[in-house]
Formats: sequence, C-alpha cells, structure tokens
Amino acid sequence: MIKVCGLTDNASSKQVANLDGVNHLGFIFYEGSKRFTTTSFYTNKKKVGVFVNASAEYIKEQVLQHKLDAVQLHGSESPDFIRQLPHGIKIIKAFGIATEADLDTTQAYEGLADYFLFDTKSESHGGTGTAFNWRVLSNYKGNTPFILSGGIGPDSARALQQFSHPKLAGYDLNSRFEVAPKEKDPTAIANFLKLLKMKTPSYLDTDSLGFYGEFGGAYVPELLRPNVEELDAAFNAYCFTEAFETDYKQLLKDFVGRPTPLYFAGRLSEKYGATIYLKREDLCHTGAHKVNNTVGQILLAKHMGKTNIIAETGAGQHGVATATVCALMGLNCIVYMGEKDIERQAPNVQRMKMLGAEVRPATSGSKTLKDATNEAIRHWINHPDSYYLIGSVVGPHPYPKIVAYFQSVISKEMEQQLLEKTGKTYPNKVIACVGGGSNAAGAFYQYYDNADVELVAVEAAGLGVDSGKSAATSILGTPGVLHGSLTLLMQDEDGQVTEPHSISAGLDYPGIGPLHAHTIATGRATSIAITDDEALASALELSLLEGIIPALESAHALSALSKMELKKDDIIVVNLSGRGDKDMNTYMEKFSNL
Amino acid sequence: MNRFKKESKQVSIFVTAGYPHFDSLKGQLLQLQELGVDFAEVGIPFSDPMADGPVIQETSSIALANGMKLGLLLQQLEAMQNEIHIPLVLMGYLNPVLQFGLDAFLQKCQNLNIASLILPDLSVELYETKYKQAFEKYGIPVTFLVTPLTPDARVQRIAQVCQNSFVYLVGQNGITGQGYDISSTLSTRYAELKSLCGSTPLFLGFGIDSKAKKEQAFSSVDGVIVGTAYLKAVKAGNEGEFLRGLV
Repeated sequence: MIKVCGLTDNASSKQVANLDGVNHLGFIFYEGSKRFTTTSFYTNKKKVGVFVNASAEYIKEQVLQHKLDAVQLHGSESPDFIRQLPHGIKIIKAFGIATEADLDTTQAYEGLADYFLFDTKSESHGGTGTAFNWRVLSNYKGNTPFILSGGIGPDSARALQQFSHPKLAGYDLNSRFEVAPKEKDPTAIANFLKLLKMKTPSYLDTDSLGFYGEFGGAYVPELLRPNVEELDAAFNAYCFTEAFETDYKQLLKDFVGRPTPLYFAGRLSEKYGATIYLKREDLCHTGAHKVNNTVGQILLAKHMGKTNIIAETGAGQHGVATATVCALMGLNCIVYMGEKDIERQAPNVQRMKMLGAEVRPATSGSKTLKDATNEAIRHWINHPDSYYLIGSVVGPHPYPKIVAYFQSVISKEMEQQLLEKTGKTYPNKVIACVGGGSNAAGAFYQYYDNADVELVAVEAAGLGVDSGKSAATSILGTPGVLHGSLTLLMQDEDGQVTEPHSISAGLDYPGIGPLHAHTIATGRATSIAITDDEALASALELSLLEGIIPALESAHALSALSKMELKKDDIIVVNLSGRGDKDMNTYMEKFSNL
Repeated sequence: MNRFKKESKQVSIFVTAGYPHFDSLKGQLLQLQELGVDFAEVGIPFSDPMADGPVIQETSSIALANGMKLGLLLQQLEAMQNEIHIPLVLMGYLNPVLQFGLDAFLQKCQNLNIASLILPDLSVELYETKYKQAFEKYGIPVTFLVTPLTPDARVQRIAQVCQNSFVYLVGQNGITGQGYDISSTLSTRYAELKSLCGSTPLFLGFGIDSKAKKEQAFSSVDGVIVGTAYLKAVKAGNEGEFLRGLV
C-alpha cells in the first residue's frame, strides 16, 4: 500500500491521486496540523481521514461528507473509543515509536484496527519529517499489519527495500514530498515509486536466460526447448494465483503435515555452546523435505494437463515423494533409478511400487543418480507430453527456480517461528546439507538477501576431500555443463563427469544447484565438507542427545556445528532435512557394536 | 563460402571418434570418402550423452574406455589432414569443449579446416549471447537442430545463424537412433521447413536407417545424416556393405 498524506483539493493533490501506484489518499481533519483541510475531492482511490483525539460525532460527519474509506487515529484514542466508531469503515491506528517499549501499547488495539501506522514519536502527533530507527520494528510480534511512516523521503527507497517484516503492509508518504505544506510534488513521488519498484538485485534473481550470476541457464537440446518454455510460462502464470496458493497450502497442511516444528535442541545447544534450533523437515510425510516440492510440482503438472509424470531418484527419497503425489492425484508415474541404487535401496523401491509407480533401471554409465537423470531426460525427449518432475535445484532453467520456490516454505515458516521464539525473524546462521541442494535452497531462501545471516552449505567429503572418493563439489568442482545447466561440476581434465562418493546417497551427485554455485562462488554462502565418519558420529550424537535419529544427509549438516566457533547467544538453525529410517542398513552395519 | 551447398542431394555419416578402437577414425573416414559420402560428422565422446539412444551411448562409453579424449581426437585429425578431403563436422556435448577451452578449441578447428560444429546442448539463445563472438573470431560456422515442432519464426532465425553451414532437422521428436516412418504429414512439414530455411541447406537425421528412407527424405530436404544405423553396422563388422547399400 502506498498512502500519500496531507492532501487537500488543490491541483497538485489531484495529480498525486492520478499517479499509478498511489492507492490511499490521506486528508488531515485536525486543526493543529499544517496540512489541515476541510475539503477533499472525488476519486476512485481509497480516501483516508486523519484525526487527532476528535469526537466520534465529528469523525462520523467527515466520513459521510467526504465518503471516507478509512479513518486514521493519530492521537491517544482508546480501544473503547474505537469500538464506538461506525462498523464497515477501515481503522488505522497510529503509534509514535522510539523504542521497543512503545510497541507494547499496540497490544490493546489488536483486533480493533485493520492497520497500525508506525510513525516517528513526537509531541506534535506526526508530521516531523524525520525517520525513526525501523530496526526497532523487528520486535513487533502483533497480528495486525502495519504501515511504515515518518520521514520517508525521495532518498529512502533503498533503505526501505532493505527493511522487511512479515507484517509490513505499505508506506505513508507526506512532508518530504512537497514543495510547501499542502503543495505536493507529484514528480518526486512518481520517481520514488519507480525506484522502489526497481528491486535491489537479489541472489535469487536470474537473468532472462536463467543465470544466477555466471551459473545456470538452460543447456537443453532443441527438442526440449518447447518443454522448458512451456514450463516456465505455466509456473509464472499459475503458481502465484490464489487458486494455486489455496490448494498448495491445504496439501502442505493436511497431507504433508506442515508447519513442521522449529525445535529448540537444548542438550545439543549445551554441548556446542550456542542456541540451536532444528527445523524438523524429517517430520514431513514421506520422511523428508522432498515432498514440499513434489506437492507443488504435481499441482502445476495437473494444471498443465499432464497425465504422465517422470522423475529421477538416487536413494529413492524423491522417487517416493513423486510416487506419493502421483498416487494422490491418480497420475501415471515412472521413476528412473540407477541399477546399483535399486539394489542398495530395496525398501524405497518397494515403497514406490506400492504407490503404483513403475521403477525403471538406468543401466548406462555408473548406474547411479546421474545416469538415472540422463535416462529421465531421454524419456522426456521421447515423450515431450510427459511432465518431468525434478527433485532438486538442478537441471535446466526454470527448474532450479521452481524447486527453490517450492522449498522456500521451510524458511518462510522459520521466520514466523523464530519471531515467536527469539523475537527476531532471522538467526545468525542457517546450516543445511547440499547434494543438489533443494533443502538448503529452501532453508536459505528468505535469508539470501539478509547479510546478517550466515548461510552454511554442508557438502559430503566422503572418505576425505582429497581421497578421490568425495562429493565435495564446491571444492573439487569446476564450471561445467551437466543435465541442462552450467554449474560447478566434478569432472576430469577432458570434461568427462567423474563419479562422486558419499556414504549418503542423497549427497552423492557430481554437480550442485547453480544457485548454490553462484552464492558459494560470490562468498554469500560458505561451504564446509564433512566426511562419512564425521556424519556417522553426528547421527549417533543427535540420537543420544535429542532422541532424534537423523538421515545421513542431515547428519552432515549437524557435523558442521563442531567446525565452527560458536558464541552462547548465537542463534543457529540446522535444517534437519530427513529422518534416519532409510539409512537403517548403514546404521546397522556401522553401529553393530552398540 | 558454404561447403554444404551442392546441386545434388547429400549423404553424411556420423562416426564416434575412438570406436570401436582408439585409432579407428582414420580408416573409417577414408572409407566414407572413398564410397562417396559427402561429409562426415565426428562425434566427441562424452560420459553423459543425454540426447542419445543406447547405440551411440555405448559407442561413446567404449571410446572413452579406449582412452579417447578431445585433445587426442584433434591430434588424430591433424595427422590425417592431408588425406581427408571431405568436409568434417565435429559434434559433441558442450562440456568437453568448455573444459578444453572454447578459444583454444575453436583455434584448433580453424587450423584443421573444420566445416562446422554441432553442440546439441547449446541453444541459439545461449550461442548468440555468450559464445558467438568466439565462433566468429575463428570463423567456425555453427549448426543448430530443429524439429518438425519448431515454430516457423524460430526455424528462420536458426537458418539465418546457420547460413554458412546447414540446419540439422531431427526427423521426429526423440533421442537418436529410433526408426520411424516418414508419414505424409511429416513429409509436408519437412518441405515447409526446407522453404523456411531459404538458402541454408537442410539435412535430415536421427532415425535414417535405410536407402528407402533416404530416398524418401531426398524428396523434401537437401540430404540425410546417418549415425546409429552406421554404428550398428560397424559393431557387426559390415559397415562397407551398409555404406554401399546406402550411398
């Protein structure tokens, strides 16, 4: 919402009313203001009357006379006073804010106002032209959305872009956009709105060819060009509609079991000397975060009229998550899986079969995940009418963007949960494991552009980074093209893709999502490599300390705790991407002496 | 000058470098030249050939197992330069080329008088924004693929970019080496594509496995490219017979 306040019925006010982007017009019916008016004008924009400790009678009169849509109460009006005002009119209650304590007064008004307006604290009921420290608002935990006011000027656009809060509803512009009181400067407002719209570059932005910085793109044969274009268009047109949102949120809640808890791991915190929370993606239906993405993509596939779904899988987690949503929607499902993985992951193969999917072995190359991906792409080329449901933030543009978006629910929930638990929406560090990197992309999503949050991507070092048996792509990889995108890739000097190794099948991939390649290469994210043995030790440690048996992938993320210098009041979130059931064979073998 | 423009219809053969043996290429190219093949495509083996069917996948992994690498392939081509006179096209996935170094690779191609490059995972958009400058610096013409489903305007754009080489028509949506019938609907579309390409030659590939299909293709396009069927004959050891029957 953009509200311009202090208007009257002069020419400049009317010009302001005609500006695109301005949707609320404020008229001040308070005699003490330099912008006091008794007149207004007809407009199709929303009209807001501003009052300071006026009588209910006076307010009612002005509402009728000026056909106001909302009243803004800028004095010390009590909750009871607000209850006397006519129903059906929107209420904006203004508060002067200087310190955190000023936010306490808002509590009594919860449920009575449609919006709060936070202004610079002053004796003169607003209009000071100076800003207050917006950071104070990170302590605001109310449910009522708020409008930010006070000293916003032509030079504030960039600072405003950097200030975010889940309840921020819009901005109030006044004295700094006028040449004299009541004489607004429409050009300055228009320019400001343009600047505000020009988003500051985000780590999540891709260019028109789908590149995050130097990584990404759509390196696909011409045969797949229509497919990726169709997918991108459908995603952009459908996945931001209310219809989609409603269905997606419903399924996440009732089928997946979201929101997943943000659990304070007390004994783990004590051991590592920090405040450690676990985002419990392991409690999702099917046992890992993978289903967040398959639920989103299956709705998209259905919307596109697709009936045949294909997927690739390594350990079988994404295959199971895909087979699950296909069963849910009654769609055909074919999952490609490396012949070797089929042998190693028999329970997941059985799960997929019980869910009605056909599991097809990939018999070429190394017979693992990368070969399963090749086979899925070949199938897609041969059957362009099928929907290829990729399970990680890899593959040609727009897949990395789509999968990251569907996984972003992880950090969106974290913001809300952290706010409740710590009073801030963000932690000091977020730690997540990275194979292709879908759970990390989801856990980092809301924090990419918040420099106060350290993003830690944990890779699998296998038997050791220099052992020749590793999957530490960001260290061992060089830029290369595989599976449709330019990313960091483990390869030999001839450009042949090499075989990674990790005890965790989910991290056993020679590439890494281009978004991660970009954020690691530019220093926004830090990568840490954890060996098989270190991950095993962390899996056992979490089991004993917190009563949670993690997946081997997530155990890598936990191991990173021992590699960092932590402070007592550091707030750390470890994304616990999956549970350990699928790794029981490995655990039985490695911990046979317990 | 466009080396792919001829009055007569043409036949081209795709051969995977390093298959069945590390040093098979020279003999194979000499044979193609002798039997009247118009130009040859030399496949650069890659570990993850995502647009290829099982036959070419297998030849590619055998070639890699034989020790074939892009650098060694270029050395082999250099050594046979004086004996091979038909135009050579190099075809392969982008990654080995990027690892070799795009500029160094294009420089070699220029020295070897390579007639064109086909990199199936490079789209015309990426080519124009990121790679075109280098190709033009060394004067190496590029070839792109189209399919019967490619929109008309895009076919015209691709034909324009490929004006010094040719447009490679994938006869039917699918990976390499799957036989299919050229229906009358497909034939009609091929003829439309031919006219959309204007003066840029149009060759049909992906699934040409017999003389009959070649003759059928000749009625609408400038020539055919045969890969899988030839490599199957190489595996069976009867490629001479196959080629004589085809050309």
